[in-house]
Amino acid sequence: MRSLRAVANTPVKSLSFRWQLTLFILMICGVTLSLAFVGLYLNDIRQFDEEIRSRLEKTQFLMGENITPLLEQNPEVTDLPLRSLGVDSQIAAAAVFTPDGKMLARYIRAGAHEVIPPPPKNLSSLLGSRRAVVWSTITSSTGKPLGLLYLKAAESDADRERVGQLLRGSIIIFSVAAFLAIAVAFRLGGRFTQPITELAQVSTSVQRTHDYSERVQSSASGEIGELIESFNGMLDTIETKTSELEQARETAEGAKEQLEEANRTLEARVEDRTKLLAKAVKDAEEASKAKSSFLAKMSHELRTPLNAIIGYSEILHEDAMDDGNTRSAEDLDKVLNAARHLLGLINDVLDISKIEAGKMELYIESFEVSKLVNEVIATASPLIAKKGNTLALECPPDIGTMRADATKVRQMLLNLLSNASKFTERGTITLKVTRNTEEATLHFAVKDTGIGMTPEQLGRLFQAFSQADASTTSKYGGTGLGLAISKQFAQMMNGDITVTSEAGAGSTFTIRLPETVEAKKPKVVNQSSPRLTRSPFTKEKRPKILVVDDDKDIRNVITEILDQSGYEVFTAGSGQQGLDLAAQIVPDLIILDLMMPGMDGWTVLTKLQHKPALADIPVIILSAASGLEMAMSLGAAAVLFKPVDANHLTAEIAAHLAPLPPSYVLLVEDDADSRTLITRLLDNEGWPSRSAINGNAALRILKKAAPAMIVLDLKMAGMNGFELLELIGKNPVWAKIPVVIVTSMDLTTDMRDYLTPRTVRILYKGRFSREDLVNLIRPAITASTAATGAPSATPNAAPAATTA
Amino acid sequence: MPKILLVEDNEMNRDMLSRRLEKRGYTLAIAVDGGAGVAMAKSEQPDLILMDMSLPVLDGWDATRQVKADPATAKIPIIALTAHAMESDRQKALGAGCDDFDTKPVELNRLLLKIEELLKKFPPKA
Repeated sequence: MRSLRAVANTPVKSLSFRWQLTLFILMICGVTLSLAFVGLYLNDIRQFDEEIRSRLEKTQFLMGENITPLLEQNPEVTDLPLRSLGVDSQIAAAAVFTPDGKMLARYIRAGAHEVIPPPPKNLSSLLGSRRAVVWSTITSSTGKPLGLLYLKAAESDADRERVGQLLRGSIIIFSVAAFLAIAVAFRLGGRFTQPITELAQVSTSVQRTHDYSERVQSSASGEIGELIESFNGMLDTIETKTSELEQARETAEGAKEQLEEANRTLEARVEDRTKLLAKAVKDAEEASKAKSSFLAKMSHELRTPLNAIIGYSEILHEDAMDDGNTRSAEDLDKVLNAARHLLGLINDVLDISKIEAGKMELYIESFEVSKLVNEVIATASPLIAKKGNTLALECPPDIGTMRADATKVRQMLLNLLSNASKFTERGTITLKVTRNTEEATLHFAVKDTGIGMTPEQLGRLFQAFSQADASTTSKYGGTGLGLAISKQFAQMMNGDITVTSEAGAGSTFTIRLPETVEAKKPKVVNQSSPRLTRSPFTKEKRPKILVVDDDKDIRNVITEILDQSGYEVFTAGSGQQGLDLAAQIVPDLIILDLMMPGMDGWTVLTKLQHKPALADIPVIILSAASGLEMAMSLGAAAVLFKPVDANHLTAEIAAHLAPLPPSYVLLVEDDADSRTLITRLLDNEGWPSRSAINGNAALRILKKAAPAMIVLDLKMAGMNGFELLELIGKNPVWAKIPVVIVTSMDLTTDMRDYLTPRTVRILYKGRFSREDLVNLIRPAITASTAATGAPSATPNAAPAATTA
Repeated sequence: MPKILLVEDNEMNRDMLSRRLEKRGYTLAIAVDGGAGVAMAKSEQPDLILMDMSLPVLDGWDATRQVKADPATAKIPIIALTAHAMESDRQKALGAGCDDFDTKPVELNRLLLKIEELLKKFPPKA
């Protein structure tokens, strides 16, 4: 329908407005003239018919006058004077019939071909039906019908001439009118159409050139004038708006430039500040290192002269005793005591410094509790006896063994006993050792009958550098560090020291330690100076990471690290919970502990691999346990060791989540050092790469996008190089990827025969140069870059953003 | 009497310890650096070695490793003496092959106990 109308409209539409107008005028002229012509013609014919009819009626009347008497005499008469009609050239034929239809006489004009029809049955219906034919009844004077008369008029040349003249006149008038119409249309039409034509031209030109300064110059009256005026007005408005827009755009551009400049300045400032911060952190680290090394040096420097003092004093003391010189021996005893005291003070200060620096270590070993207690008693006995105190030991001989840092337990007990004897005179000091099987702890209680403490003194008791009273130090000696150190030691071994005391009645200090002290390892490293790798995605799109670990502290610390790095973190405290949550949220990555009560990490990993929806989620194993090889063979994407290294963890996560770059090199290698080495080498060339710890992990990456090249190790836990090559060979796309083998394996002839057709080259670890590998990879990268049209990365392209 | 090789670079320490040990009846051989210590272990064939750890030329750990690596001296017990009282030092010394460990300043009675214990474990040949 639409197309039809379009087709119909097209020829008219393509004509200019002027021609359309001309055509319109012509059409009106034509129609008017045609109507006039038809009207005149019809009128003329009617007049002509009337003339003929009246002539025929006259002839008929005359004929009736002549014929009626003859028929009255003889109704059958045939000799009627019809021939006389020959004088009238306008009669073509005539005939007389009896009333019952029998022809009596007829006349046909010479040279005319006329046929006389039989009389009609009903005469009245015929009257006036044909303009050139007349039927009439001949009646006697009495009114009796005598016969029928037929008359037919001839068409004369004059008649024809009249019609022809009419037609010619009409044509001439039409032609003159048409000519006049065209002339008028051209003269007047120009005046009417010119403004509209210009309007059309200007509007087309404005549309084409977007030059809004053009105006329609013609003026006109009426609606067209208004149209032009409003069109020009519209152009005015558009021109103003456009220039305003242009101005606004320029302003915006200026502002944008200013903003960019400000950004650059800001970036530079941030960079400066970051550098300053990094320097401050570095300085702090260095200061901390300097402090540690100073302490170590102090330890050595102070002990060396003390060593000599104590040693030579002991030699002299021995000699004096041998010589029976008791006076000298007593004096030397005092020197020795002072020297040993000094050594103790130095050791205390060093201990507390080490604890504060987090450098105090535990050496956990199994030992007989009663043996250790007896040793301590032997050492402490002289001290206890000094102020007239007696020692009571309550330690069952079958107390058994414990696992702890024996040196520190010894030091703690000595500290408590020495304190007790310091603050007690002529009293009893009791050491009671018990085992609480329910708690699986050992309790060492040291009870004295000394001066005791007030609640206020108790409150400050375990703080470093704070004895019960400032005067205490001068009266009783000591640094006041001993208890603080002992308390720290107890806490390091997951135990504690508690005290009950009554001023004037004595105190009881109780050390509580687990039977088996677990070596406490730091849970996080690099926490003080983390360089976190941020999520490879924008702030709005936070990848979901599921952390499965039974250790709440680990969960919390990882959550904090990952939250800072731009991830959405979900946590699960057990394997089963982890599986359930994984199915529910379908995370982008999973961090999995191996050693968990209930369902362990290996089982979780296996179950994940068997769920199609979850099988492709990369799983990073984060564990302190062994059995990492098994985890790798079960399909872990990466393996990291506890304590959590925030820097490594975030870098690993970002590497697994980042979209694969075009023309990347896939490095399949289980040895972390080799991986780092080759990755760095590729980085230097500006070639993006992705690492996989074995064939399983490599397949996961291959499924996402085919690399430009594969650098493949052969011996790997899980899917090894040969198995991966086999699978690659079965996939028509992967089979085209060039593969370089980097191995330390001694290859048999069979192996080499297998590898040769499938790989570009076999490189032996430690026996190839960087150039060898680079030269093997370069053609593949070049070909791939050319094929994908991807721009190759610039050398040393910035790695993922880091935050200090 | 058992022969003890004392490897110690500090003159005072060397003097004190050797005098006190001699007084208790031990025969002393003295080396002033790690290299000399390794050589004398072979030539003197002592019954026990007291090895300082921070030594010039060859440090105590390396000297211990060399002594323990040589079949001629491998069976001689070694007590490490170090001013560092850290557990990692103790581990390091035992890792290098020392049989026992003591911190300086030397507490003679404790050291004598350790010497006697080791001599019981590795009785002198003569």
